Amino acid sequence: MRPSLALLRTTTFRLALAQAGLVLSLVLALLAYVYFATVGELRRASDALADQEYALLERAYAEGGIRRLDQEVVERAASDSPFLYVLAENNGAVIAGDFQQLPVLPDNASDRVDFNFERAEGDDVTRGRARGRIGRLLNGPILLVARDLNDAAGISGRITRVLWTIAVFGIIISIAAGLIGAWFAARRVEALANTARDVMAGDMRRRAPVRGEGDEYDSLAESLNAMLDRLERLMHISRTAGDAIAHDLRSPLTRFRYKLEAALDTPPDTQADREALRKALEEADGLLDTFAAILKLARVEANASWRFERFDASAILQELIEFYEPAAEEQGRTLSGAVEPNLVIRGEPGLFTQAVSNLIENALKYTHAGGRVEVLASRRADGLIEVRVMDDGPGIAPADRDRAVERFVRLETARSTPGAGLGLSLVAAVARLHKGGLHLRDGLGDGEHRGLGAALVLPADATPAAAH
Amino acid sequence: MRVLLVEDDPDMAENVRASLTADGHVVDLAGDGELGQSIALEGGYDVIVLDRMLPKKHGVSVVKDLREQGVSTPVLILSALHDEDHRVEGLNAGANDYLGKPFSTRELLARVRALWHGRDRAVQTKLSVGDLEMDLLARTVKRSGKKLDLQPREFRLLEYLMRNAGHTVTRKMLLENVWDYHFDPQTNVIDVHISRLRSKIDREFGQSLLHTVRGSGYRLEA
Repeated sequence: MRPSLALLRTTTFRLALAQAGLVLSLVLALLAYVYFATVGELRRASDALADQEYALLERAYAEGGIRRLDQEVVERAASDSPFLYVLAENNGAVIAGDFQQLPVLPDNASDRVDFNFERAEGDDVTRGRARGRIGRLLNGPILLVARDLNDAAGISGRITRVLWTIAVFGIIISIAAGLIGAWFAARRVEALANTARDVMAGDMRRRAPVRGEGDEYDSLAESLNAMLDRLERLMHISRTAGDAIAHDLRSPLTRFRYKLEAALDTPPDTQADREALRKALEEADGLLDTFAAILKLARVEANASWRFERFDASAILQELIEFYEPAAEEQGRTLSGAVEPNLVIRGEPGLFTQAVSNLIENALKYTHAGGRVEVLASRRADGLIEVRVMDDGPGIAPADRDRAVERFVRLETARSTPGAGLGLSLVAAVARLHKGGLHLRDGLGDGEHRGLGAALVLPADATPAAAH
Repeated sequence: MRVLLVEDDPDMAENVRASLTADGHVVDLAGDGELGQSIALEGGYDVIVLDRMLPKKHGVSVVKDLREQGVSTPVLILSALHDEDHRVEGLNAGANDYLGKPFSTRELLARVRALWHGRDRAVQTKLSVGDLEMDLLARTVKRSGKKLDLQPREFRLLEYLMRNAGHTVTRKMLLENVWDYHFDPQTNVIDVHISRLRSKIDREFGQSLLHTVRGSGYRLEA
């Protein structure tokens, strides 16, 4: 693609052309306005003066007859009055004035006239254009009072020329600005397009240049880069998820196989065989649980057709606390709750229940003996419903919190405890499905045992409660 | 009792048939939905065990048609799809229970027995097992004439055990029927609830009624 031609096709250049057109029509409008405001005004003023002069002479004629008028015309023509005068007989023969003969003849009693004239003064012949008033006076004589238009035409001509010059420069400048803008824009868009092409070609690390000017191209580049970061992260997650699934499934499968093989290899012993089978069954159940969790997470993440309904989250939370409380007590942990009543959510109650149950089980699992877990639920000032499950266990370091909700990520501190690392991912996925979020914070403890506070934030049901 | 098993996977069908037969049931087998429906219409079965994904006719449609044609035999649907919405769809079509694959044989046997046993539970207002009595209207429980003080949830747990007296109920059945939870808690939550209930109904009395069935669940029996 030739850059010069490409430039002409850019949106910016088209905008510049449109702008040039706009400048042109604006200048034309301005011209018209200025023309009428100046030239028109000058003409009106000169017409008024001519009328005045004509009226003056008409009065002189009325008072003193033709002699007086003749005298006036001769005096005025000789003075440096701005007017041209002609006094003629009824038949058009000039009596006195600036011309040897009438340049125009009156049609009616009194007329406004525009005419070209030629005047000889010695050897010089001046040509010009004049505008004035011509009329027949009482008893026949013809009087012409006109003004040489050369002065007025000079002023308006200058104004017109200046305006045209401005228009031409304006158009040239706006086209040039358009071309330069188009060139810059094309260069920056081309840089973004190059980045996208490089990424498509496989260079996931490539990023669009950001100039730091904070303009819309920078903002576009930043968005593109953020998208690429996210993509790279997702690719990384799916790669590591594959590894994690392989790891999570390979170990129990290996143990499963080993137990069956060992049972087969040793001499038949009913008691030992049964024990081996029982253990193999346990491993198989564990594997099936992992599969079920993966499938469920996939289904929640795929945002499949879940049937949403209004439900009382407070009641569900209260029941969950009652459900887990005896087991927690048995394990030497304290589970307590403070749940605000009538927290109504629109969503899938089964998934909500499971999400909170995951948080409670997680908290119980990572809390040391003698520790405590609290379930708090309330409506926040911004209207969202927040369910917090707080523990006083080891917690998760702030830097690791984002990763903790990713699929299959098991943090170092959690390696020793069982679980496929899917619990928090499912909670986060359920939160996203309900247009909410899962936020990990500090819990009940402090210092090394800062605890974990998992906050499930969901929008409250906005539809008005059914009438009772 | 007579069980109609509708299942298209031959291995699966043979395993289930063998387990049901070993548990003392007489089992007839149908390999697709249409055949299963026409055999079920002939009647004479106590329980129908129906796979969800069947050739020729979908399991959920089979239940729906059977119910429309007046067949009230309890139906247990087996399915690899056991998320909330699938389960609700199956139950709404008229199935009595829904069991996700894979399942343990014990789970299946316990549920088949519970279905058959619970056919006419709705008309009962009083339940009794040995000297343990439950009045469903007055919401009271007595043992040997002595009134026992139970929490509402404990009452429902005991009610479910009493309705299935003499039969093993699994932890999963208790979770689904008493709490309406359809996930597996990682911890021994159910066992602790049972032991609390046991301390209320058994501790002061000579004979234990609530038994643990190792590897399966619990059984209430005099």
